[in-house]
Amino acid sequence: MPPFPNVRLANRPLHFIYLCDCSGSMAAQGKMQALNQAIRQSLPGMARVARENPEARVLVRAVRFADRAHWHIAEPTPVARLQWHDLQAGGVTAMGEALELVADQLASPPMEERALPPVLVLISDGQPTDDFDTGLARLLRQPWAQKAVRLAIAVGHDADQEVLQQFIGPESSASGQRRDPSSRSPRRPLQASNATALAQYIQWASTAVVGAASMPASRVEAHGEPQGNIPLPDLPPTLLDPIGDVGPVVW
Amino acid sequence: MTWILPEGSTLAFAGLSTPLRVVRGIGSGSQGQVYEVELAGEGLALKWYLPACIARDPALELRLGAAISSTAPSASFLWPMALLRPTPQSQRLLRCREPGFGYLMNLRPAGFVGAVEHYGGLVDLSLASVLRACLELSAAFHALHSRGLCYKDISLGNLFLEPESGRILICDNDNVDVDGRDPGGVLGTPGFIAPEVLLGRARPGANSDLHSLAVLLFRLLTRHDPFRGALELAIRCLDEPARRRLYGEDPVFIFDPVDQRNRPDPELHSAALLTWPIYPAALQALFIQTFGPGLREPERRVLTGEWQNELARTLDRRQICPACGQENFRSHQSPPPPCWSCGAALPAPLRLRLPCGAVVAAAGTNLYRHHFDRLQLPQLRQPLAEVVAHPSDAAILGLRNGGPTPWQVTLVQGQELQVEPGRSCNLAAVAAIVSDDGLIRIER
Repeated sequence: MPPFPNVRLANRPLHFIYLCDCSGSMAAQGKMQALNQAIRQSLPGMARVARENPEARVLVRAVRFADRAHWHIAEPTPVARLQWHDLQAGGVTAMGEALELVADQLASPPMEERALPPVLVLISDGQPTDDFDTGLARLLRQPWAQKAVRLAIAVGHDADQEVLQQFIGPESSASGQRRDPSSRSPRRPLQASNATALAQYIQWASTAVVGAASMPASRVEAHGEPQGNIPLPDLPPTLLDPIGDVGPVVW
Repeated sequence: MTWILPEGSTLAFAGLSTPLRVVRGIGSGSQGQVYEVELAGEGLALKWYLPACIARDPALELRLGAAISSTAPSASFLWPMALLRPTPQSQRLLRCREPGFGYLMNLRPAGFVGAVEHYGGLVDLSLASVLRACLELSAAFHALHSRGLCYKDISLGNLFLEPESGRILICDNDNVDVDGRDPGGVLGTPGFIAPEVLLGRARPGANSDLHSLAVLLFRLLTRHDPFRGALELAIRCLDEPARRRLYGEDPVFIFDPVDQRNRPDPELHSAALLTWPIYPAALQALFIQTFGPGLREPERRVLTGEWQNELARTLDRRQICPACGQENFRSHQSPPPPCWSCGAALPAPLRLRLPCGAVVAAAGTNLYRHHFDRLQLPQLRQPLAEVVAHPSDAAILGLRNGGPTPWQVTLVQGQELQVEPGRSCNLAAVAAIVSDDGLIRIER
């Protein structure tokens, strides 16, 4: 039987950009390797989400920053064709410059006239050593950056939470009154204290968030919680670390 | 992927007489994780909810219990079979401290693919298969609504198709509820949610299902979204507020006969412009109704039974273009339009005149009970006869007796003969067929 008419489905680009801290401190405790692994392991799941969302063209890029910021993957790359080359740690933390690099790319042009909200994921384990405020201001002047889903992952406990929160933007005031600092929220920096948590957050950002930004998922009644321009999916549940779970100790 | 239920583990659940073995995780979504499991030697699927999903939806367990104690409305539903809570011993083996639950269902048979694969052009279905899937989908919702239930969240994401046959399976039946009894929970999937639900003016129910069903049918038939036309192109960043405008505040059907603000773009929305004209005006009219007056007045939306009837009639009009082999759906226009695919003129076909309607003779077209009995709603199980091409000359069309009893056949010249079950007779030679189900007359 002849196939369905060969029609081109209308779609929009979805730009997904990692901003990865490659400062010297990332070399400690295998953090750099853990991040490389987490991103590499997340790619099949991300490719699956891209396949399931035919209305989105998921395009990935990455910036690395240490003494300076550089494009690690400069070309917006379809996730199915993406190869992750390992990042190397060494240097200081030019986070502000990284934001400027992204700002230039979110200007229109080179941004397309029509797109889905970009997703920016900032991963850091320390404090910026350059002019963060100028970089952030330049980024947030871009309308596409204002529309972007901005997530931050704090690797270890030395990350500058304040700076990461500024990148995400203020938590909306409506939820401020019943904010519980111990509860997790995608509108706050995600604390990755070990390799498992880091992998889970990277996986969540590259699958659940990409899904939400491209083809919306089933919607449940919001309980008064203010949503941004893209309602974010639930964070992954706090799962017990399978490696640390050795079973009963005494029996 | 971190699985809450460890792969390879054997877990005991309250109410199950034997423990269940977790074979492997097979999928995860915003609500939970799905596993292949083995229970007493039988392969089954288990959906396990994430703690956040349970916390958000207090009525979930109650709904599931109600669904399990009733049975599936039709064979098209992958229906929940048993609610599972781990025993205290098994709870300790789970990689999650919060207690949770899940439900058992049948595994999705091999060969079914997500409807989104068809939508994205990753699998090829024939037009007839897509129409069959649409008819089965309407019939499944008819069965569900007839029981006073509603689905609330039909979308591309919970529909699966068998490309060859057009058979369907509807998954994620955990939102199914008694229509009108709505303790909260799911609202639907953006793009499919009825405008009044999206805007918070109504709760999801059978009426909003009819909107979502029409959206899904349209997307299956055209590979395009019914509300994405010029108004979508005016949107730079397609985010939540933009979707609210497009689907809720000011939805305009791209083929609305009066409101022309949202016409498809010839370049960017070419799918809709190519596929929509393939379908007969009578079928198009149902979309124009549901996406016209039905947008603001839910009671004016086309009902499941009407979809079934019109989709069945569309299948009955199927004609194969002799020049290119593509499927056409013969219109009542005179002269009929040429083949949509290659532009060749379509010859006048043989027609089978039946007690309820007429069917264009085209290889692969079936006759069913509803062609003989006006009280039967169309469904595609157990064909009574099939139009078949002669094995050595595809130009010769026959009708194969698919029933259990012989047919009395009158030939054009007046002779009579008998056609046993499983045998076919050449339609070019036949004037009429008397079957146990009724009379079939051949019109030329």
